[in-house]
Amino acid sequence: MALSKDELKAAILEKAEKSPKPQLYIKDFYACDPETKPRDIKNVANDLVKEGKMMFWSSGSTTMYALKHRIKNEEGSEGI
Amino acid sequence: MAKHETPLLDQLESGPWPSFVTDLKRQAETKPECWDILGQLELSYEERITHWKHGGIVGVFGYGGGIVGRYSDLPKRFPGVEHFHTIRVAQPASKYYSTKNLRQLMDLWEKYGSGMTNFHGSTGDIILLGTRTENLEPFFWDLTHDMGQDLGGSGSNLRTPANCIGQSRCEWACYDTEAVCHAMTLKYQDEIHRPAFPYKFKFKFSGCPNDCVAAIARSDIAVIGTWKDQIRIDQAAVKEYIAGNYPSNGGAHSGRDWGKFDIEKEVVALCPTQCMWMEGGELKIDDTECTRCMHCINVMPRALRPGADTGATICVGAKAPILDGAQFATLIIPFMKMSADNEFEELVEFIEKIWDWWMEIGKNRERVGETMQRLGLPAFLKVMEVEPIPQHVKEPRSNPYVFWSDEEVPGGFERDVVEFRARHAA
Ligand code: HEM
Ligand code: HEM
Ligand code: SF4
Ligand code: SF4
Repeated sequence: MALSKDELKAAILEKAEKSPKPQLYIKDFYACDPETKPRDIKNVANDLVKEGKMMFWSSGSTTMYALKHRIKNEEGSEGI
Repeated sequence: MAKHETPLLDQLESGPWPSFVTDLKRQAETKPECWDILGQLELSYEERITHWKHGGIVGVFGYGGGIVGRYSDLPKRFPGVEHFHTIRVAQPASKYYSTKNLRQLMDLWEKYGSGMTNFHGSTGDIILLGTRTENLEPFFWDLTHDMGQDLGGSGSNLRTPANCIGQSRCEWACYDTEAVCHAMTLKYQDEIHRPAFPYKFKFKFSGCPNDCVAAIARSDIAVIGTWKDQIRIDQAAVKEYIAGNYPSNGGAHSGRDWGKFDIEKEVVALCPTQCMWMEGGELKIDDTECTRCMHCINVMPRALRPGADTGATICVGAKAPILDGAQFATLIIPFMKMSADNEFEELVEFIEKIWDWWMEIGKNRERVGETMQRLGLPAFLKVMEVEPIPQHVKEPRSNPYVFWSDEEVPGGFERDVVEFRARHAA
């Protein structure tokens, strides 16, 4: 049985919190629920950004996901 | 007055071509931050290392793309480029602009940015180079509310779809590239504005094999117009070309005297599949051998036209050299009808099948063409449920093994071990 949307959201947030790296690729979240299609996992991860719980970090050609409190704003700092 | 000494950059102005250094100096007269671009670049030339910091979390509310964060790692020394974000603005279909639209956009960019532009980037978008984080939202508001224009794709998003001028101006267009591009742009708004994949993804639409948007070289899915039937020949017009009454190539090479038009040398002998010949003063084509290269049609546009049974060829997997080398897209579907009546259903189904597979199998930062290369074309064709045809074969095989799957072998691979051991003791 695939996880419900809320369960999946919780699993994604937990993964983002516990992972050693602050930024994760979308593929890193696939394991949160192997029964959910990758494109649906992507939609849920993007919803978490919409809700303000995660942020995008983009190199310009690839986009990663991170929890707000785990990522520094690079302005005027050393960057990430 | 120059803010920084830039002898290395100044040298670039000495060549015969217009130089971006000259452009930057001119722009710096009204936008002083442009001096700091020059200063930082000069330093990079001296030290042979970049001083741009790559990437960031900047964006506009609700979008996860369209803004590419860039910062200087020497903000104290070059405050003008402390923030120097790039904005991607979606180009209009076929890149038709009104001068009003261009003026509005330039006014907006003078107001909120450095004034530096790139028309157009490799994605197709209009690239606006250099602004600060606090200008992003006001710029976005004015762009969307006052101009009705949108940002393009960046990051792991679908890139702004691009198309050739197609049937709006070009009689060679084998399908309505603008209709398809518009339909796909609307259908995939979410994929354009928010990350959707392991990496970037592009599709581009050309109306004929001249491929004016270079789809075959640059897009993950290249949709290129073609025809199934015969090249339409007007033999009377062929005679006019031979007599020298019509200029070849629509007069495109008239800047120099190339001598009398020679149909044997300039058309028949240059056909890559050698499927043309002259017979009794008439031009003949064996259309079954024609590879639709467009050469003969380009040379004699008043005599030859693409056929009337038209659609598109779909090629997959082009990319620029990032991990491996650059590669062209590979032919997957030789012919697909392009019909707005069913909202391009067949194309949509094809696109989404690729996405579902690549999302799952593709590695991080791997273009779909690299995934195809890694797993091999036979594996990809199987996923796409496409029957292999001779046109899929690029070269003689280099792999000596032939692998059969269970269902290809009569009786399959399952064996009754007990029965086998009865004949062959272990
Ligand atoms: C009726 C019995 C056998 C038949 C018909 C047979 C047939 C073959 C054939 C056609 C090849 C390929 C040769 C090539 O590609 O140049 C081969 C390779 C080989 N066979 Fe047999 N074979 C038999 C029994 C055996 C037995 C009993 C052994 C070992 C105890 C054996 C060991 C090998 C090995 C090691 C190779 C690989 C040689 C290489 O890769 O260069 N074969 N055999
Ligand atoms: C721990 C024991 C063994 C290991 C790790 C081993 C490993 C390998 C490897 C890596 C290959 C190359 C496969 C390829 O290139 O696709 C190979 C080929 C081969 N091995 Fe072994 N092997 C072992 C034991 C044996 C034994 C006991 C036999 C025969 C009695 C044997 C017979 C062969 C043969 C005939 C080939 C050639 C197959 C071909 O040419 O396609 N191997 N082995
Ligand atoms: S790709 Fe073909 S149809 Fe499109 S503009 Fe170029 S020549 Fe015309
Ligand atoms: S389109 Fe190209 S391949 Fe076809 S007949 Fe003309 S020159 Fe030959």
